[in-house]
Amino acid sequence: MSSTPAATATAGHSAQTTTAATASKALTVGIVGLVLTGLGIAISPDKHGPVMSYLVGFTYCTAIVIGMLMLILIHHIVDASWSVVIRRQYEHFISAFKWLFVLFLPLMIFAWVKPGFVWPWMDLNHELHGHGTVGTDILYQKKAGFLNLGMFTGMTLAFFAGWVWLSSRLRKASFTQDSDGDVKWTFMNRKTAAFGLPIGALTLTFAAIYWVKSLEYHWFSTMYGVWFFANCIRGALAVGVLIMVWLLGRGDYKGILNTNHFYSIGLLSFAFTVFWAYVTFSQYFLIWNANVPEETFWYNLRELDSHGHTTQWWWVGLVILFGHFFLPFLTLLSYRFKVTPHILRRIVSIILVTILIDMCYNILPALKDDHGDSLPFLSLNLVWVLTSVVGVGGVCVWSYLKSFPTTKLIPIRDPRISESLTHHE
Amino acid sequence: MAAQSYGLIATFDTTPDLYHAAEKVRDAGYRNWDCITPFPVHGLDKAMGLKRSIVPRISLAGGLTGFCTGMSLIAWTGGVDYKLIVGGKPYFSPMFAFPVSYELTILFTAFATIGGMFFLNGLPMHYHPVLKYEHIRRGMDDQFFIVIEAKDPRFNLANTKALLEQAGGKNISELEA
Repeated sequence: MSSTPAATATAGHSAQTTTAATASKALTVGIVGLVLTGLGIAISPDKHGPVMSYLVGFTYCTAIVIGMLMLILIHHIVDASWSVVIRRQYEHFISAFKWLFVLFLPLMIFAWVKPGFVWPWMDLNHELHGHGTVGTDILYQKKAGFLNLGMFTGMTLAFFAGWVWLSSRLRKASFTQDSDGDVKWTFMNRKTAAFGLPIGALTLTFAAIYWVKSLEYHWFSTMYGVWFFANCIRGALAVGVLIMVWLLGRGDYKGILNTNHFYSIGLLSFAFTVFWAYVTFSQYFLIWNANVPEETFWYNLRELDSHGHTTQWWWVGLVILFGHFFLPFLTLLSYRFKVTPHILRRIVSIILVTILIDMCYNILPALKDDHGDSLPFLSLNLVWVLTSVVGVGGVCVWSYLKSFPTTKLIPIRDPRISESLTHHE
Repeated sequence: MAAQSYGLIATFDTTPDLYHAAEKVRDAGYRNWDCITPFPVHGLDKAMGLKRSIVPRISLAGGLTGFCTGMSLIAWTGGVDYKLIVGGKPYFSPMFAFPVSYELTILFTAFATIGGMFFLNGLPMHYHPVLKYEHIRRGMDDQFFIVIEAKDPRFNLANTKALLEQAGGKNISELEA
């Protein structure tokens, strides 16, 4: 333990002005991204591509923030000690949920104004390729109690209400403890975690089903929520590493972080890399093995066109297999890579990029041509994906940076803070 | 008949004493020596100048062997030796070989890790020369020891003894092999 609270406070104070400057930059970049995406929707003839790209960018950023919420809840439920010094950064980041809700509103407006535009099942007269309309489709009728606009709206509101409520509880308890040092806040957060984890698990699962999986409402996969969860946590850990390296480089975390913090977060990244692979492979393998048309069509759309030729999406699948699993898996095996901040930063950057590709892979093939084939991966839509990520991500980063100077850098009066500062030393 | 010497042992009362003594022995360039403590002392590996264990490499080799074993087992049995069509699937596909390969990866990694660890640390060991040292039982309770083996190239009875004394070691005595 080499850092005193006084030193931390001074470092925090001197960094305050630069943080505020970075925050306004982030907001500017975010707004530019959102405006560009809006322009894309305006100039695009059928508007479908940019809107779906926005769904990709939105889901990607939301997944990462959900992952942070889940990591804080897991931290409290297992009474973790090493992650106390990093938890605070996540607490700042989850302030973004209210802004994410605002950013979901355009999609909600699309759902109400042009039903069936983003999610085909919202329009009962939507023509299905080769067999009637949604309204006459038995696979829709059986799911109509779940897949209808009222449920979609209500559930989405409930997701955000749950996330905003949980994050404000966690933030308030942790921030108040900084000033009064009362251990009751720790117990309160542990209780929040006990009921927050099932809430988090259910909401993120249903969010993934409503927002992403229902784009192909014929499809079944019980692994979908777990797949989404794995990406949430991987994204949150990756951004956590980026923040650690950034704050270490800037001097804030000097004397606070040691090798073992990087080792631990790298190890968790490794664990969730394996978990993601396990879940994603299970989904593919069970569908491949059972070979039922209601399920295989989803992968066929991502591998073949109607003539049976492999499409770009097949290659995207391979990029995900190697870039999202093998590369992080093999590099994170190494102890040295996990404890060397600039190498770990590179590995998690790859993970962050491949999560985005994974989101594209799950969402964009819902865009189809007249033959019912998925539109190719390499298209103008990628530009709108990037502007959406920059837009929504910029707003999230701004929200984080805006919250950052309002508290101490680390929860200095958390009962486990000294354990965390001397993690494995 | 003078018994063959195993080396020198010294007692230390506190972890900082041991830690700093270990740094001195390390800096003197000794290689065949060890610390004996009643509990793990964090950072002692650095004070002793120990490198990271090579067990992870043995684990990796085990894992790769396991993966290849699983894949080749299924490729050989299903694709070459006894071809059967099951559920309209190909004779061989990495898809259905994967769960087995995955299990064997884990199994062989575990074997290699445990086996590699035992091979490198020489356990189980039923006899060790330090057991003849009268204070060694305190090593399970509240005392710390440094043992420097006679086979170390730098070992010299008088000089090594002086080093241990200078490092603050007590009850320095010579161990029979």
